[in-house]
Amino acid sequence: MNPFALFLLFAKFGCVSFGGGYVLIPLIINELVEKRGVINMETFGNLVSIAQVTPGPVGMNAATYVGYLQGGFWGALSASFGLIVPSLILGTLAFYSISRWRENLWVRGILQGVRPVSLAMIFFAAFLFLGMSVFTAPIPWSGLLKTLIGQGAGLPENFRLSLGGFAICAVVAILFLKTKVSTTLLIVLSAIAGAFLCR
Amino acid sequence: MDKTYWKKLWVLFFTFAKIAALVVGGGLAILPVVEETFSRKNKWLTQEDLLEMTALAQTIPGIIACNAAVYVGTKLAGIGGMLAAAFGVCFPSVTVIMIIAAFFPHLEPSNPYVLGAFAGVRACITGLILVTAYRFAKKTFTGRFEVIVTILALFLLLMKINPVYVILCAMPLGIVYAFWRKTRGDAVLPGEGLK
Repeated sequence: MNPFALFLLFAKFGCVSFGGGYVLIPLIINELVEKRGVINMETFGNLVSIAQVTPGPVGMNAATYVGYLQGGFWGALSASFGLIVPSLILGTLAFYSISRWRENLWVRGILQGVRPVSLAMIFFAAFLFLGMSVFTAPIPWSGLLKTLIGQGAGLPENFRLSLGGFAICAVVAILFLKTKVSTTLLIVLSAIAGAFLCR
Repeated sequence: MDKTYWKKLWVLFFTFAKIAALVVGGGLAILPVVEETFSRKNKWLTQEDLLEMTALAQTIPGIIACNAAVYVGTKLAGIGGMLAAAFGVCFPSVTVIMIIAAFFPHLEPSNPYVLGAFAGVRACITGLILVTAYRFAKKTFTGRFEVIVTILALFLLLMKINPVYVILCAMPLGIVYAFWRKTRGDAVLPGEGLK
């Protein structure tokens, strides 16, 4: 993809990413993995892994990496710049009147509508990652639905639980929820554990 | 363009680069560092300014650290300050990722240990995202509307509907809901559903 197309694409993502970096995951997957097919799911999972370990906001790192894979140096620059352009423009517009904006019923309504969708997108990102770590294949939603209503399609052959992945995911979730241990440490330990458990 | 102006631009760039690089946890984890540098050490921002910054960062879309940078930069040094601070947020990602990407342009390792390590990190990220989703859900589920919209949106996403459309559809829905609550006379608390 040429840098200008990347710029526009990430500017679009920047306009709709309310609520943090993980919201970008479904956006990038829909556009670049499913619709255009330029990145495969496995590569994307590894890319997010690197984005999470390297310094910098996850969303920004992922955008830069995708930009680099798609368009080299200029692709990386235009993707990350595209991602911040909406906040530069909207931030300047809102700068003098943010207190009034916050009271405005329209603005409040928009945020109230968008928040649950952002939450759904984070859950969706979690499901996608479950299919790449805890399970050995993407979660087959339609198959699960058929099994539930008794049409018994069953689960596909390659869909199994990965014990190593499950153990790491569970331990990380508990530690992250209950203690103040740093995410960087969790990731480093998971990488070491994974090298032995997930082969 | 006197010397203090350029010094401000440098402090903005440097501080936000530092924040982007070192502050893990995302979102409002950056607030204490901004307060320390711009309010306590340099006395450039007041407490009200910090509240305004938080409000702005959470209202407009985009990376939260970048939204905060836009506010602080504009406040201290106009457009130039805004750009300096925003580029500061981008700087660590762009430089570090470019170096890594230059070494791993394909991201398809073949060594079983490396593959395992990546699988381990993916499992770790799954855990992190699940906990993030859980915390986000606890703050978001304040009423029936939020729960229903979340379930509906999740269903649409699983049907592979473009997330952009799902968000765009949720905006008018939220506006209708806000006006409906107003006509019903429900007390709408300031800042509710935003934190």
